[in-house]
Amino acid sequence: MKKVQFTSKYSQYFFLAPQLLILLIFLYWPIVQTFRDAFTMQDAFGFGSQFAGFDNFLFIFSDPSYLTAFKFTLIYSFVITLITGSMGLLLAVQANGIMHGKNAYKTLLIWPYAIAPAVVGVMANYFFSERYGLLYSLFNNLWGFNWYEDVFDAYIYVIIAGSWKQISANFIFFLAGLQAIQKTVIEASIIDCKSNMRRFWTITFPLLMPTTFFLIIINITYAFFDTFGIIDTTTIGAPGSETKTLVYKAYIDGFRGLDLGSAGAQSIMMMLIVLVITIFQFRYIEGKIHYN
Amino acid sequence: MKKIISIFVLLISFTFTSNSYSKTEIHWWYGNSGFLGDVIIEIANRFNDSQDEYMVIPTGKGSYEDNMAATIAAFRAGDQPHYSQVYDAGAAIMVAQVKNGVVIGFEEMAEKYGISVDADNYIPGIKNFYADENGKMIGVPFNSSTCLMYANMDILNEVGIEEVPKTYEDFEAMAQKIADAGYIPLLQSHSPWIWTENFFSRHNLLMTDGNNGYDAVPTKTLFAETDAFVMHWSKVKEWYEKGWYGYKGRAWGDNQAPFTNGEAAFWFGSAASFGGMKGVLPNFTTNPILYWDSVTGGKEYPTFIGGAANWILNGHTEEEYKGLAKFIEFMGSPEMDLYYHNMTGYAAVTKGGIELAETINFYRTSPYHKAVGDQLGLEGSTIPGGYRAGNWPQIREVIYENVEPMLNGDMSVEKALGNMDKGSAKLLKQFAKTL
Repeated sequence: MKKVQFTSKYSQYFFLAPQLLILLIFLYWPIVQTFRDAFTMQDAFGFGSQFAGFDNFLFIFSDPSYLTAFKFTLIYSFVITLITGSMGLLLAVQANGIMHGKNAYKTLLIWPYAIAPAVVGVMANYFFSERYGLLYSLFNNLWGFNWYEDVFDAYIYVIIAGSWKQISANFIFFLAGLQAIQKTVIEASIIDCKSNMRRFWTITFPLLMPTTFFLIIINITYAFFDTFGIIDTTTIGAPGSETKTLVYKAYIDGFRGLDLGSAGAQSIMMMLIVLVITIFQFRYIEGKIHYN
Repeated sequence: MKKIISIFVLLISFTFTSNSYSKTEIHWWYGNSGFLGDVIIEIANRFNDSQDEYMVIPTGKGSYEDNMAATIAAFRAGDQPHYSQVYDAGAAIMVAQVKNGVVIGFEEMAEKYGISVDADNYIPGIKNFYADENGKMIGVPFNSSTCLMYANMDILNEVGIEEVPKTYEDFEAMAQKIADAGYIPLLQSHSPWIWTENFFSRHNLLMTDGNNGYDAVPTKTLFAETDAFVMHWSKVKEWYEKGWYGYKGRAWGDNQAPFTNGEAAFWFGSAASFGGMKGVLPNFTTNPILYWDSVTGGKEYPTFIGGAANWILNGHTEEEYKGLAKFIEFMGSPEMDLYYHNMTGYAAVTKGGIELAETINFYRTSPYHKAVGDQLGLEGSTIPGGYRAGNWPQIREVIYENVEPMLNGDMSVEKALGNMDKGSAKLLKQFAKTL
């Protein structure tokens, strides 16, 4: 076959240009704008803009509801990661083990993944409405559940709403991971060990580590950023500001409160947090994972 | 192929010859939805049918907050509408934008383009709410409501209460009776608007320093240092614990639903709320909102105007502003004012509209509409008819955030109100820096 080669020195730039342009417009330009907003003080319409140094950052850290949002986001992402990861794994193992109707189970379990977070929130609303909510009346009978005023109950509400759809995502990836494990390894282990449980924890689970690691990152980013629609359609941050995530808080201050300086500073803080979490994971967790 | 091309050409020529092409377009953005949004579209249609030079195109942007954010984003992108509906909490932000050339004041517009409806034709309370520090009207009053008390008369009859309460003292005297019969005595739909801002106006008390921001840029709110306000929330907390007051979260509708379904005796909402109740709740009345007799010494004061005004945005052509002037004139006519009052329950905002209502004896057939005018028309207030405080949308958020911990017992009333003051002072300071 004839070797194809470009003669011009610049043609590669031409072919790269569309992607680079998209990156520039939709990624780098907003980031630059965010930095500009974070370090300036301006009115809603962009007038009276003046350099503010770190004033916006000092402002958000002196805001008790920002610190509450910080705390909640950490709790929320931890719990969501834990619940969705373990439920996804459990369902994947079960679905992988059954003989009949495998595809039907698979399809049904994957479906919720296709639902938008805002729609999930609206559906959760039906379950947790005081007027006609099934879960509301169940929990209310058990321990006087009332998410309007009780922080713990509000946590339960947004955690259930936030986890449900993400379990599907975890399910898909774990199932794919399970199916990628070589049959010979499994068969060999069956000869050596009778206990299902033990085989799972010593053979299967370690082989799933790359998937698990990937899902932890995906789940944390999901809890951080994609749950916006769920919060906005369920508790809107109440009671107090106890169920506001950092993204939701930035939205409220930026788009409702029209304070772009504070919203910009919050966005930068969020960027830093995600950066730290990701670096931490790659350095300390990934080293312990064997990809082969 | 030829066929396809000719069809294509035909289609294009159709789009360009449709009658909107020759008219001057005026864009009007609004933040109402559902029925109230439909009425806005109907107003635009009526104007468009009344003449054929101009065409008003109304666009709904969601809620008040959404519309304000959309308008600002559009302005920053150089793509703003001509006319936009901005709510009470955003009034200070909009009035402050006249000097930056974002907003054109109504009076300036009226002078330049000859609008026959002048500022004095709007009723004083409403006019002042949207005016600058010199009393010049900037925003054009539109949907003006206030908070009212809705009463379910069937429940009152059932428990043997003959008269609708006027004061909170009256309410306290009957609340246990209602609770004993298995009903929620009281609900309300907006803690910052009804039980904060309008608590102060109803009792003729100042809410911020700088004379509610009319004399000087405010630096703090006066929540914790106003004894009557502390007393009020202590009572609310007590009622909540006794089951006299039911809190159903922050959503307006969640607090209204039990009342509409006949499970609550009283509900505080907006003058424009009865649309959804008519035909569902058989026997209800609209009444002035309660006040503490012990605070005012038996006197009643008017509440602030709620709702929104329309604001004229800069950056369009002379021709378009001429059209907008025509539209403002159209909306300010007595007939349109009364039409809107009748359809929505919002107050009539022009003197002409009120006179027309009297001439045709409007309130005899529409009893729900009367309370709003009565309450706003009260006299004797010594405080300004509004508040001029920036970052108010965020301050409302701060108020919400502290009401819940107060009700669930995480915070004492004094502590919660102190927190509101602290949070508000920071936001007011932040706003002052951008002026």
